[in-house]
Amino acid sequence: MKNRGPAVFLVVCGVAMAAGVVYAELKKGYYRPEELGSMRQAARTELSPDSNYQVPAYPVPAGDLKPGDGLQDVQIYCNTCHSPRYITMQPPLPAATWEAEVDKMNKSFGAAIPEENTQRIILYLKAHYTAENRKQ
Amino acid sequence: MSEAERGLSRRGLVKMLGLASGGIAVSRWFGPVAAMAQEPTGGKAVESFTGPGANPHWNSVGPYVAEPQKVPLILLTDRPVQLETPRHYFRTAFTPNEAFYVRWHLEGIPNGVDLKDWKLKVEGNVEKPLALSLPELMRKFKPVSLAAVNQCSGNSRSRLQPRVPGGQWGNGAMGNAMWTGVRLRELLDIAGVKSGSLQVQFQGLETGQGPKGLGSNLFLKSLDLGNPVLDECVVAYLMNGEPLPMLNGFPVRLVVPGYFATYWTKCLTWIRVLNAPDENFWMKTGYRVPDTPRGNTTPEDVKAGKVKTVPIERFPVRSFLISPDGSSKIPAGMNITLRGIAFSGFGRVNRVEVSDDGGKSWVAAKLGEDQGAYSFRTWEMPWTAMAPGRYTLAVRATDEKGSTQPDEPVWNPGGYLWNRIERQEIVVGNGS
Repeated sequence: MKNRGPAVFLVVCGVAMAAGVVYAELKKGYYRPEELGSMRQAARTELSPDSNYQVPAYPVPAGDLKPGDGLQDVQIYCNTCHSPRYITMQPPLPAATWEAEVDKMNKSFGAAIPEENTQRIILYLKAHYTAENRKQ
Repeated sequence: MSEAERGLSRRGLVKMLGLASGGIAVSRWFGPVAAMAQEPTGGKAVESFTGPGANPHWNSVGPYVAEPQKVPLILLTDRPVQLETPRHYFRTAFTPNEAFYVRWHLEGIPNGVDLKDWKLKVEGNVEKPLALSLPELMRKFKPVSLAAVNQCSGNSRSRLQPRVPGGQWGNGAMGNAMWTGVRLRELLDIAGVKSGSLQVQFQGLETGQGPKGLGSNLFLKSLDLGNPVLDECVVAYLMNGEPLPMLNGFPVRLVVPGYFATYWTKCLTWIRVLNAPDENFWMKTGYRVPDTPRGNTTPEDVKAGKVKTVPIERFPVRSFLISPDGSSKIPAGMNITLRGIAFSGFGRVNRVEVSDDGGKSWVAAKLGEDQGAYSFRTWEMPWTAMAPGRYTLAVRATDEKGSTQPDEPVWNPGGYLWNRIERQEIVVGNGS
């Protein structure tokens, strides 16, 4: 009995390895370095049993506005009330729609962007965010 | 593949497994087996935007982001915050709080509320103004609970053709919760609405950088005092039996059953009785729909100034296939279950039908438990595709008013009221 232990072990190992080879052929474990889908977990915040109900600051991930003339004006004026994602989220829009959007910010929402900067913002949006020139 | 071929390949596999277990595996003999496994490539990210065509995806295309009290949700905008709920969270009738979509209008949204200072005010044209603490709301009034769908007016805006500016939502700007709180009517009755009052206005804690009196400074919504929906409104301090997440309106939010979410004021703090119509931006300019069937119009008519508008109100009947979602193949011959949800702002959904030929023929699905007239209603249906191929599944619902989802698109400049029949391509693969 004692002597058969190692033999049984070897046979079991052999079968397992052979099965492993077959399995590997059926479905291999392919991995690749990639950041797609990866994000860090948020840590829990300290809580105290008082009357104040607080949550952490809301995260603002880096935006990806296209570089170009007028970018600075967008960053200064548009960014006052909303992040640039309000621009990058949009589908490609006709030039006239971008003009109307900036006009809405100035008139309906009282953005009061100086005329010169308003024109630069409109040119910037038309240059990068219409169907003719917007790229993924 | 014929039965004979299938038999052959099965025998071949058995033979090779036999050889392998005999410990005489030689890799070149595994050619036919290796051919079954394909070397995977890296996954790809979705595009960062869609258009000028309609967004072809169920959800919008933004990245995932983890906001406070939330699981990773799809980011539309970060300041102010707008987050969309991914499709798979709609498998159940109630949407988890941590996955519930988020939509704010102004960047000054609260990170916290001190309940020592916070009071819900009922003021304006009333006999006796009220200021109630959260414990007073919870203890002095009989709590009422109701299941109700909260859907953004712009849900599915990215479907419109031509595309319109605004939050480019896929279908996930909606959610259903069990809301518990105090009846709005009870608060109004105790405060005593003075005669000659016209509307009741709701204001929450959000504020913007814009000048006073403009829509960029405050987000205000009003309902007519004669509107019967006021009797159904609840000032909710519980959402699915839990406090509301800050981003969904802690400590209380207004629940307006059947109405689009624009009226469901978050962090509700002022209930104001008005004796003149509310003419602020969010009533007079924003959230208005053409006064036409389905709120439908054309860019030409808008340009010509022909379109009379009215404030948006109830949401029309909708239904969705939630799983399968088309992201993986289904083997032919497998008996699977199609699952989804349906709802209407006009009352109970009493029929859901499914088509697997793109809408030519329809079969009634089995409805899940009735959670109330304004709740999501789950549905399911067994489905087996015997032959491999591409199947276009479609689903349509009918509500108790007899309204059925149409198969025509809708267009209006605000991108509201989309409720066209949804379709999903499902790829059925060879079973052997």
